[in-house]
Amino acid sequence: MKWLNFPAWLPENVSTFGQGVDNLFILIYWITAIVFLAVMAVLVVFIIKYRFQEGRNAEYIEGSTTLEIVWTAATTVIVFGLAMLSLPQWNKIKFPSQFPGNPGAVVQVNGKQFNWDMTYPGPDGEWGTDDDLQLENQLHVPVNEVVHIRLTADDVIHSFFVPQLRLKQDALPGRFINMWFEATKPGTYEIPCAELCGFGHSGMLGYLTVHTEEDYAAWISERWGE
Amino acid sequence: MNDHAHDSHDHHHEESFVRKYIFSLDHKMIGKQFLIFGLIMFMVGGGLALLFRWQLAWPDRPVPIIGVSQTYLEEGEVATAADRKWEERFDDDKETWLETNMPSGVIDPAFYNSLFTMHATIMVFFVVVPLLVGAFGNFLIPLMIGTRDMAFPVLNMLSFWSNMLGAVIMMAGFFVPGGHAGAGWTGYAPLSSVVDLSGVNWGQNLWCISLIVMGISSLMGSINYITTIINMRAPGMTWFRLPLAIWALFIVAILLLLAFPVVASALALILFDRMAGTSFFLATGGGDPLLWQHLFWFFAHPEVYILILPGMGMASEMLPVFARKPIFGYKSMVFAMIAIAFLSWIVWGHHMFQSGMNPALGLSFMTTTMLIAVPSAIKTFNWLGTLHRASIRFTVPMLHSLAFVSMFVIGGLSGIFMANAPVDIYIHDTYFIVAHIHYVVFGGSVFAIFGGIFYWFPKMYGRHMNATLGKVHFWISFLAFNGVFFPMHILGVGGHMRRIANPMQYEFLQQMQPISAQPINVFITICAFILGAAQFLLLINVFWSIFRGKVAEQNPWQANTLEWHAPTPVPHGNFGAIPQVHHGPYEYSVPGADKDWTPQTEPNGESPHGEPVPAGATAD
Amino acid sequence: MMVFTFRVFSSILMNELDHTSSEPVEGDNRPLSNARLAVLVLVAAEIMFFAGLIGTFLVFRLGSVTWPPPAQADVRLPIGVTGLNTIVLLLSGYTMLQGLRAIRHDRHKELKNWLCVTGILGVIFLAVQGSEWVRLVHHGFTLSSGVYGSVFYVLIGCHALHVLIAVLWLLAVFVRAIAGRFSMNHYVGVEVCAIYWAFVVVLWPLLYVLVYLI
Ligand code: HEA
Ligand code: HEA
Ligand code: CUA
Ligand SMILES: [Cu+2]
Repeated sequence: MKWLNFPAWLPENVSTFGQGVDNLFILIYWITAIVFLAVMAVLVVFIIKYRFQEGRNAEYIEGSTTLEIVWTAATTVIVFGLAMLSLPQWNKIKFPSQFPGNPGAVVQVNGKQFNWDMTYPGPDGEWGTDDDLQLENQLHVPVNEVVHIRLTADDVIHSFFVPQLRLKQDALPGRFINMWFEATKPGTYEIPCAELCGFGHSGMLGYLTVHTEEDYAAWISERWGE
Repeated sequence: MNDHAHDSHDHHHEESFVRKYIFSLDHKMIGKQFLIFGLIMFMVGGGLALLFRWQLAWPDRPVPIIGVSQTYLEEGEVATAADRKWEERFDDDKETWLETNMPSGVIDPAFYNSLFTMHATIMVFFVVVPLLVGAFGNFLIPLMIGTRDMAFPVLNMLSFWSNMLGAVIMMAGFFVPGGHAGAGWTGYAPLSSVVDLSGVNWGQNLWCISLIVMGISSLMGSINYITTIINMRAPGMTWFRLPLAIWALFIVAILLLLAFPVVASALALILFDRMAGTSFFLATGGGDPLLWQHLFWFFAHPEVYILILPGMGMASEMLPVFARKPIFGYKSMVFAMIAIAFLSWIVWGHHMFQSGMNPALGLSFMTTTMLIAVPSAIKTFNWLGTLHRASIRFTVPMLHSLAFVSMFVIGGLSGIFMANAPVDIYIHDTYFIVAHIHYVVFGGSVFAIFGGIFYWFPKMYGRHMNATLGKVHFWISFLAFNGVFFPMHILGVGGHMRRIANPMQYEFLQQMQPISAQPINVFITICAFILGAAQFLLLINVFWSIFRGKVAEQNPWQANTLEWHAPTPVPHGNFGAIPQVHHGPYEYSVPGADKDWTPQTEPNGESPHGEPVPAGATAD
Repeated sequence: MMVFTFRVFSSILMNELDHTSSEPVEGDNRPLSNARLAVLVLVAAEIMFFAGLIGTFLVFRLGSVTWPPPAQADVRLPIGVTGLNTIVLLLSGYTMLQGLRAIRHDRHKELKNWLCVTGILGVIFLAVQGSEWVRLVHHGFTLSSGVYGSVFYVLIGCHALHVLIAVLWLLAVFVRAIAGRFSMNHYVGVEVCAIYWAFVVVLWPLLYVLVYLI
């Protein structure tokens, strides 16, 4: 029955905040699984036990205020609890003021029909200068270091999605949105576009390469020298 | 013009065919028109789904029958009649419709976009709303509240015909140059608002115009419903004696009334952007692409509850009848629906967690969204409570109602995952959402519709539908439905994005653990074809039973509500004399009563709860 | 919207004004007649329509540092003339009310006069708006001059369209008044038109303040 255990289907997580997202997912999975099984169990018991039988009549029951209060209160507590629990996680991932500093790489990612443009500011740390490096669909970052991304789009809305990072953010034309991640495992991961952006939406695909420390240093020096 | 109004009250007048079946002013006929219209559109919307399901299971393989054969693709040899046809098509200089959209029978990515866009648009606006609100709303409201017709019969007829007009405009979009709208049913700007960005020209315009026409149609409907329910209840039919289906329709009419104008204004802005050179949604012109999303979801979130509330109301009618028991917690059911309707206005941002709106808003939208679980819990547990110590009859409508309850719970619970903003980061725009959509709208609304058709058919057409065929249809649909949509949760958890024409372009989906996405998609598609085929059983059952079904008595289910008090078939004007209502609609198995149901028109003397009401008492 | 309002209108007229033959049982205790209720419900929907547009306006207004935006900084909206025009429209609200009062006391001639005055005031409002628009367009300020132009014309234009509908509706009521269709016991037709009229009148000062003044 492994296939019923949804969390097992999650792709491998390779970001520092990904585990937090997965934990919430697993928690909700168990809450909803229990609620669902309980509801189904009651339903099945009732329809078997109270099916039509000769000589037995239904009982005239109009309701029960106590029960009403119990399940209203119980559900309220559960959902508020869930909201409270997810608050810190959300802040951590999406609030620019809480992003960790000292990024090991800063990149501007620009979605356009139907490619991802990655712009590295170069050694001077500023965009729009001569030492900028622009790559198509290739994003290179160091492992175990914070990466800051400035996300924007040229034409329509796209969405930057890296399943293994548990990160998704829409890219809006005319606006810069900041996000961050820290990858924990070297490798190459796909960056699909997750927002419908036209006939080429399916197949709009970039690649995130997470390098080890040495590899990344080598990659950097290959582009900009020392 | 004046004659029309008189006609609707004239019981002996022979009417012409046109007056009776086409431009009818009778709410029952208009309800039936909506029913047939909705069922036909269901076939269209479902057919589109089957078409793109083919592409998802076997990407870039020609569609059978229409497309070229495998031998032709591989060896260039003409093997079938279709191959020959395609040779001819390629040879002449005209570019035919088929060549643009499905070259060699393979679905073009742009056409794929139009397919799911139109699938969703048709299903939502031309199937579920017309069936739930149009068909059942029209048929049930006057009958269940005990009046002769809607407050404004002409408005009612116009509502149906403008609905038809909207459908015609929408279908015309398939055949204009540039193809049909392909920006999703959510029509996100600027993809939808700038012609050059999608290449779709009149298709998107017609999409907007059609939805505005639909909005006008709903507006006419809801004005009618609200007025009728407030003003024309039979004597003794107080607010808290209304059947829950009527409560649901009343609340839905208010939601429709207030929600549709907002999207109408937004659609008008899109049209201005497309045709008059404005730039409301274009950043380069000073506009804001998120504005569309806010306006759209401010409408579309209430819209999804418009899709489910009438279903809830109808299930609440059928469950007590076949459990032979009062509904559990009548008043809390009413207040729960009001709470859902109220909350639906302040949660729209949960569709926009990843859209780039201020993340601080995400927090409040997350909390309000999850709060909707509370009234939904009340409803669910009350339905269970209704079954407690009942005497359950497993008729076809009952089976559908039970399916409604259990499938709605699955869909609702998957909503909790998405309502949770951090989890939504991952599952947003994946098949997890698609699974959620279909569990609530198909598992919920459509099963309620199926049940409702079986339940009220005897009153509509004076004949029963075939129960055996009905059960076969139910079980195949129920199993195939779960086969189609349950695995979509799994795809979603694996990261499978929605709205992609070819999932096999992605390494991580091919390598999905423990099973690749490809065989799962094949399984889904096969189940979808079974599900589609099963709907023929429904279609056959409906049309056969209209003419040949077993003749129905006046109150075949032994139910309490007023529609069963009307003669079968229901004449013009519905009731001989307007009935007097004595108590609520769910007085089943009243202790001491001589039978296990007590129609609303019968005073129930000994019952502890049915204090006798003096005749002639008025509605409050 | 326009076609629609006419349909509502004709249906209401038909059903309500010629309704005498239907049974009285259902409607005796209603605080509001069907027609009045329906028009109030319609007005609720119209309010939501304008809420969408006003929301759009506010998004742009609050989202920009300077208003008008720099590109349209030289546009001067006709605050003074429109202010006077506002008074004209408010006045028409008053005259409409007088007309209603007249028919409640069965004063037919007075009703006709007040309706006539109201209609003329409405037409004046539209004419002034129209001429100001022509002037603005001549100055190069059009629908496509950035969002400033877009929201201005769409918001004010939608209101103008509603005033036009109200004027046409009034015309129809006026014709019926001349034909002597109303009496002190039977003036629903006047009343529903007055409700709609009140809606377009009351909406205007809000738009004026939002679009012209702040
Ligand atoms: C009939 C239609 C319908 C209904 C009823 C619902 C009901 C709900 N929906 Fe759904 N929704 C859609 C139709 C519907 N939805 C559609 C069409 C979309 C996709 C639009 C698109 O992008 O194309 C969507 C998308 C959607 C999203 C956006 C996802 C995304 O794009 O990232 C979210 C996020 O919060 C959401 C949440 C919910 C919630 C919380 C409910 C709640 O109302 C559910 C409440 C019910 C229950 C919770 C079950 C019963 C309760 C119990 C058994 C009690 C115990 C429960 C607990 C203790 C938790 N929905
Ligand atoms: C009321 C709403 C409703 C209903 C009933 C359905 C019913 C179905 N839906 Fe739909 N769906 C939506 C609303 C609905 N859907 C929405 C809102 C979206 C989101 C769109 C978007 O992203 O913008 C969506 C998206 C959607 C997708 C995702 C597409 C994508 O993102 O790429 C898929 C994929 O499988 C799908 C499948 C199906 C299937 C197989 C059915 C089946 O249940 C249909 C079964 C019924 C039939 C098949 C009818 C029977 C037909 C016949 C008997 C005739 C056969 C005719 C021919 C073969 C020509 N739907
Ligand atoms: Cu870019 Cu989808
Ligand atoms: Cu929603």
